Amino acid sequence: MDVNFMNPFVDSAAEVLKAEAGLSVTRGAITMHKSALTTNDITVLLSMIGQVQGVVLYEMPFATALALVSRVMGQEFAVFDNLAQSGMAELGNVITGRATVRLSQAGYQATISPPTLIQGRGVTISTLDFSRLVVPLVTEHGELVVHLALRQSASDKQNVGLIPLVVESQKAIG
Amino acid sequence: MAKILIVDDAEFLRVRISKMLGGGNEIIEADNGARAVERYKDAHPDLVLMDITMPEMDGLTALKEIRAFDPKARVIMLTALGQESVVLEAVKSGARDFIVKPFERERVLNAINKILG
Repeated sequence: MDVNFMNPFVDSAAEVLKAEAGLSVTRGAITMHKSALTTNDITVLLSMIGQVQGVVLYEMPFATALALVSRVMGQEFAVFDNLAQSGMAELGNVITGRATVRLSQAGYQATISPPTLIQGRGVTISTLDFSRLVVPLVTEHGELVVHLALRQSASDKQNVGLIPLVVESQKAIG
Repeated sequence: MAKILIVDDAEFLRVRISKMLGGGNEIIEADNGARAVERYKDAHPDLVLMDITMPEMDGLTALKEIRAFDPKARVIMLTALGQESVVLEAVKSGARDFIVKPFERERVLNAINKILG
């Protein structure tokens, strides 16, 4: 994991949360993980391909997700229904899209997949032997944790050697 | 009253933009590029607001198909992908405006009003 890829995501997340939800964020302690991620209540996953390739995940508890989509839509969400799920996935999409713009300005061209939303704690997501950079973003509604498993690829081998992703098991408890 | 086609795979965004546009317009929706092309051919909307990253058919491909069907089609791209190469391809393919998410309500309304006159 190239740590130079971190700032575009952190800056974009702060910018998008401010613009869409009126929230200020502070960055928590950054850590590097080799072990698999065990999910929180809500996880949004996007893949990147191009000169930067890999996986980006955003995870948070239900309360944080509900507060975020409520603020973005301007209406109260009491349950994490289809519309709220769509809103959370869209938020991940916008943050990641914004980050790809910053990466392109730094000379790395990449594009992103549509988001996937995983609901329920205890799902084990592994990027196998590829380490993840984990960055908690603290808001007044709780933590949104960004996981980055990204690497640079040669421009002539843009889609070769994609980071493998394994979702091993699901033990959702709500 | 204008007929506006909103194309985005995120239901949340379609609902949000519908609310933003208010009740004075006829809103129709599609959740991917392929359905957008179908809806355009059926409904002949005055304006299309379209995302780019979508399953089945992306927004740039749909833009090209819509413009091939109707060279006067008025399409605004509304997307998280704001790289220069993407903007250039959209404009080259006939997009009338390009708005990068996150967007401000006024930016979207001004773009619509400018195009619809």
